[in-house]
Amino acid sequence: MSLGVSILALMRASLLTTMRYRANFIGEAAMAVAWAAWTTAPLFVVFDQAPTLAGWTAEEALAVVGFFIIAQGVLEALVDPNLRAVVEHVRQGTFDFVLLKPIDAQLYVSLHRTEPLKLVHCLVGAGVVAYAARAVDAGAVELLSATLLMLAGLTLLHSLWTVVVSSAFFFVKVDNLSWLIRAGLDAGRWPVSLYRGVVRFVLTFVLPIGLVTTYPALALRGELKPSAGLGALGFAVIFAGLARIAWTQSLRRYSSASS
Amino acid sequence: MFRAFPTLLRIGLAEAVAYRAELVIWVLTATAPLISMFIWDRVAAEGPLGGWGQGEMARYFLLTLIVRHITSSWVVWELNENIRTGGLSPMLLRPMHPLVFFVAQNLAAMPLRAVILAPLMVGVLWWRPELVWTPEPWTLVLGLVSAVFAWAIAFSAQVIFGSLAFFSQQSLGLFNVYFGLWSLGSGYLFPLELAPDWLRQLLLWLPFRATLATPVELLAGLVAREDALGLIAAQLVWVGVFVGLAAMTWNLGVKRHEAVGA
Repeated sequence: MSLGVSILALMRASLLTTMRYRANFIGEAAMAVAWAAWTTAPLFVVFDQAPTLAGWTAEEALAVVGFFIIAQGVLEALVDPNLRAVVEHVRQGTFDFVLLKPIDAQLYVSLHRTEPLKLVHCLVGAGVVAYAARAVDAGAVELLSATLLMLAGLTLLHSLWTVVVSSAFFFVKVDNLSWLIRAGLDAGRWPVSLYRGVVRFVLTFVLPIGLVTTYPALALRGELKPSAGLGALGFAVIFAGLARIAWTQSLRRYSSASS
Repeated sequence: MFRAFPTLLRIGLAEAVAYRAELVIWVLTATAPLISMFIWDRVAAEGPLGGWGQGEMARYFLLTLIVRHITSSWVVWELNENIRTGGLSPMLLRPMHPLVFFVAQNLAAMPLRAVILAPLMVGVLWWRPELVWTPEPWTLVLGLVSAVFAWAIAFSAQVIFGSLAFFSQQSLGLFNVYFGLWSLGSGYLFPLELAPDWLRQLLLWLPFRATLATPVELLAGLVAREDALGLIAAQLVWVGVFVGLAAMTWNLGVKRHEAVGA
């Protein structure tokens, strides 16, 4: 079974589950818009007091919020539900059935409980980004590099979650940990350059939400140095590799429920 | 009931200690004021805003974090869970009100929450030592009284939304909407002093300020003496409204409670 076929099959299964409750779509869409308004409100209060902050205007910071909303949407659609399902599998012993399937286990657990409905948040986030892009007069090159960096950032997030899932084989109950990380990621709604010292370092390299939201926004403004952009891409690849290693190593430590 | 209360507090404390790792995580997830503190510190660095320098900002948000935690409760989730699973039925059989049990559980966890917060407080103090101030006795007294009122409003609000679980599956969703409005209107994410004028006018008529900003600003010494009593009076009105509503939804809900054994 090729990779593409497996991914399509997994997506189709999630989509069919969602379609059963398609009336929820309208509710979710309304929630997404309300949530986006809630997320941007503090930004308007801040920029009401200071027209520019650490070199960011309100419109430019709005791009950061847009990418933040997209990242949250991806978390809620792809990452979080799958994480919760894996923790449940490990706790109940059904993870053995996952390992028996003729498909890469990391790929399977990353996609098997997707909630496509939550991707509505990504649409709303994309709308916010589009508005900001018009305001800063972004051209094709800027849009393309911003998209690339956003994908790199989302890869980073996924890798971070893979590490959390891997720790489930040792600590079992890690779904609370995901709440803690979510609280930390909340800092990503602001440009990372507004933070100083240790906080900025953590938000760039440890909980790399700064890379997910601020770097694409910088690229949109055309102010990201090519070296920094390439560095971010390289960092994402390395982080994904490390996450893969963490996953395979922990799998080796997994003593199944039946043995 | 009064004889049982110390025992209930002991049970609550034992519970909090038993689940201390989870408690640490729950305390640390409600650290949004710290993020706001960093951002507003940056804003204040560009020039003081109406008398708010970096020291005042740090003081405001540190107190926001503390007051948020000493007035917080989680009874909405407890009620929701117990109503859904029927766990409430044995509680209703006890010779005391189930809410007394939840109040004790809530209050007993406070000391442990304070201990968990302590390192964060020390960190903020070390980062911005200029936040230190000498509170006047009257602001301290009024601030503490106001914090008790704030807790009463927050707890009653959660009882109201928790009791909605008697009627609807969506009670937690409704509570999340309330929480969203609350975080914008209570001074949790930004000081209300610095909010746009229209929002401040609107908030005069809403309960959110009374649950957080009032005690925080009183304790921080950011309220003029002639305004203080008005703010406390507004809080008292909201305590009355929320306790009344909570009693009403609870009583209506228990009447139609049909879980196993009820």
